[in-house]
This record gives sequence, C-alpha cells and structure tokens, in this order.
Amino acid sequence: MSFSRLDGFRIAGVSTVVPSAQLDNLALGDRYGADDVRKVVSMAGVRHRHVVAEGQTSVDLCTDAAHRLLEALGWAPDTITGLIMVTQSPDHFLPSSACVVHGRLGLAVGCAAFDVGLGCSGYPYGLYLAATMLKGGGHQRILMLNGDTPSRFTSPDDHATTLLFGDAGSATALEAEPAGGFASHFGLFSDGAGAEALIMKGGGFRDRFPADPRDLYVRMDGAGVFNFTIKRVPPLIQDTLAVAELGVADLDAYIFHQSNRFIMKHLIKKCGLPEDRVPFTLEDTGNCGGPSVPVTLTRALAERRGALARDLRVMLLGYGVGLSWASAIVQLDAQAVLMHGVSAAAPSTAPTLDPQTESQP
Amino acid sequence: MSQHRINVDEALAMMADAFNEPLANVRPDTARDSIPGWDSMGALMLIAELDERFGIELSAEVSRQMRSVQHVLDFLAQHGALSA
Repeated sequence: MSFSRLDGFRIAGVSTVVPSAQLDNLALGDRYGADDVRKVVSMAGVRHRHVVAEGQTSVDLCTDAAHRLLEALGWAPDTITGLIMVTQSPDHFLPSSACVVHGRLGLAVGCAAFDVGLGCSGYPYGLYLAATMLKGGGHQRILMLNGDTPSRFTSPDDHATTLLFGDAGSATALEAEPAGGFASHFGLFSDGAGAEALIMKGGGFRDRFPADPRDLYVRMDGAGVFNFTIKRVPPLIQDTLAVAELGVADLDAYIFHQSNRFIMKHLIKKCGLPEDRVPFTLEDTGNCGGPSVPVTLTRALAERRGALARDLRVMLLGYGVGLSWASAIVQLDAQAVLMHGVSAAAPSTAPTLDPQTESQP
Repeated sequence: MSQHRINVDEALAMMADAFNEPLANVRPDTARDSIPGWDSMGALMLIAELDERFGIELSAEVSRQMRSVQHVLDFLAQHGALSA
C-alpha cells in the first residue's frame, strides 16, 4: 500500500481564486437543448461555472492566489525556498509554469521551482511533495500552487464536458514545524491502464498536429470514470482512516474533488459518511479539476471553523485523470488563513482584495 | 456472486426507475433504442444501482454492448442477482 505518515510541517494558509466571468448553464439551452441542459444540471449539480477569459491562464490565477496569500501571511517572497505548481494546463510546454510564477512573484534564486502534471488527484499529491521537502530539511517555507482551466479543454460541441467544467487557481503555504506537530497521512495511487478514460490525445509530442481537430479536446468515458471512482474511492477513504487509526466521526470534514454531484452522493452513501461533513461547492464553481479541493476547503471550511473555534482535521480526496487517486488527512489550526476571491481577467499584477468574497479567520 | 437477489418484476422496476421510464414500457424484449432515458446518464444510473444493490460492477464496455432489457436481466442472472 502506498501510504505515508508525515509530521514536521503545518499548513499556514490556503488561498483560492476563480475567474470573474461566471456562466449560467441554464442559459445555454438554445445551444444544447433546454431539456438536455436541465438534465445535465440536475444530475451533475453544476448550475454556474467561472471560466477564464481569453488569454487568462492557470498561471495567472495561481499567481493572483499566491500574491493574496503572501500578503495575508506577511511572508516576504525571499523567504520561500520551494514552489510546486500542480497543473495540467500550463502556459507552455517549456519553461515550466512554476518557473514563470517564480518570476512573477519575484522569488529568490535559492527557491526550487517545478511542475507536477496531475489533474483531479493533484492537490493531495502536491501537499505530500511539499511536506516531504519540509520534512527532508533545508526548507522553511514552501508554496504549493494547484491551478487548472479545464473549461479550455472542452469542445464546444460536447455538452457533457462543457457544462461540467469551471476554472480555478490556488496557493497553499506550508512551513516547517520543528517540534513535529500534527502527523498527517497520505495515500497515493495510480492505474495507467485507465489512461484513455479521460484524455486529450493531440497537441503533445505523440501527435503534435492531429488530423482530427477533436483530438485537441478532452474525451471522457463517463461510465468508465464512474466505475473507476466507485471502485477506488471507498477503499481509499477506509484505508486512509485505518492507517491513521481514526474512525469516520474523528474527522471534521471530507473534502471531495467536486467531480459530479451524482457521483459524490453515491460515494457518500456507499462510504457511510455523514452528509453534513461533505461540503458541495460545484453548484456555482463547477468541476474545476484538482483545485476543486482547495476551493471547497476555503469556501466551505472557513465558516465551519469559525463556528467550531478550534483546529480542524479533514480528509482531502482527489481522483480522476491518469487514472490517479490520492488522499490526505491534515490539520488546519486556528491560525491558518483560509481565503477565497475572484480574479480579474487581466493577467494579475497587483491583486485587489474584495472584502465581499474574502473569508479569513 | 451477489449475496442479494431480486426477481424479474423487481428488476424491471429497478430499470424503469433508473431510466425514468413508465414500468409498462420496460419489458424483457424492449429494445434499448425505444427507451429514451437509457442514454449515457441512464447507463450511469444503472451502473450505480447495480453497485449499490448488489455490489456488482457493470463495466462501461459491457454497458455499451447492452441492446435490450433482456441483456440486463441476463447480466443479473450471470452474477447471481436474479432469482427464478
């Protein structure tokens, strides 16, 4: 089993942003047929989606989220020694998006910066990598960015994917905890035999200029992905709890990748999880890939933490393209910053904080 | 093999519910094409039902090959989920 226990770090804050443009799926009935749209909205649970403007990318969203977080934490850019960017929508094949963001944030040359090419499972993976770097020594503060713009993956002719996906960026600040602190648990898994279940076949170096333009868009085997999810996620939850020697009731929340309401409801029932501990945010931010996990963390958990007035222990769950799936049990202490906002369409320079959309401790 | 079994009438009712189709329109010889709700979403509903009720996996490939209600009944019988 691929489970790990890691201490020696704490999550100092999580910042998420969504693009300012918001679409109402029900307004797309003329294009896709009102009945079909209503059916998809009813099943998938996505009414509104935030989508990037032309020229706006994951790098822009994550840079904006990182600026906001550094400002909220009072962290000087030259104190960051590691920058990880988890994305499947990079600005370029080369250089890495992490290096582009490194330049935008004005980080020091002593800061390691690299990309991780994972989608829906990316957030727990990114946390694991940041935690291992901190545990390994030599690092004090690390930024882990997770951003994706899956609305740019979809063919406008494919309503099943177009109506599902939104875009988001996030930044998570982690710092070393020399005294040890809370011991987190991670589970990381892959099944490359299912690589074709969710794939953009063209545009990479296997087929740089595909003859069929549809190969430049994502193709999803909905039934295949659903079967993968209901087969892999329930044991992932059970095994992660068992390794951490915890019961279902010991965690304050289960933060799922916001894949699809029908799938999530099925998982909740199958796993016997209390519904009030599984927040949903996809109704108005859609399935934004890996960043749907931190978006749910900031949007749903800030309120919950305020009401409980104590540290929160949560399980984070990512699953999808790869096929890849991962879990993390982490603690958010009372001082950890949780913030969510809207990002302007122009590439971010100096972000403007919107008090209407911010939620901080 | 499934630990839980249902009879043919219960199986037809399960399919009618999954496909959002009147029960009278779901007979063993009913073709998939004549059930509007047996589309990609209906197929997901059926996969979910079989997982939840019987713990059996209906793969995407087998699901796509099903052309009639009888094929679903045959699948249930093969997995020990259909009583005589």
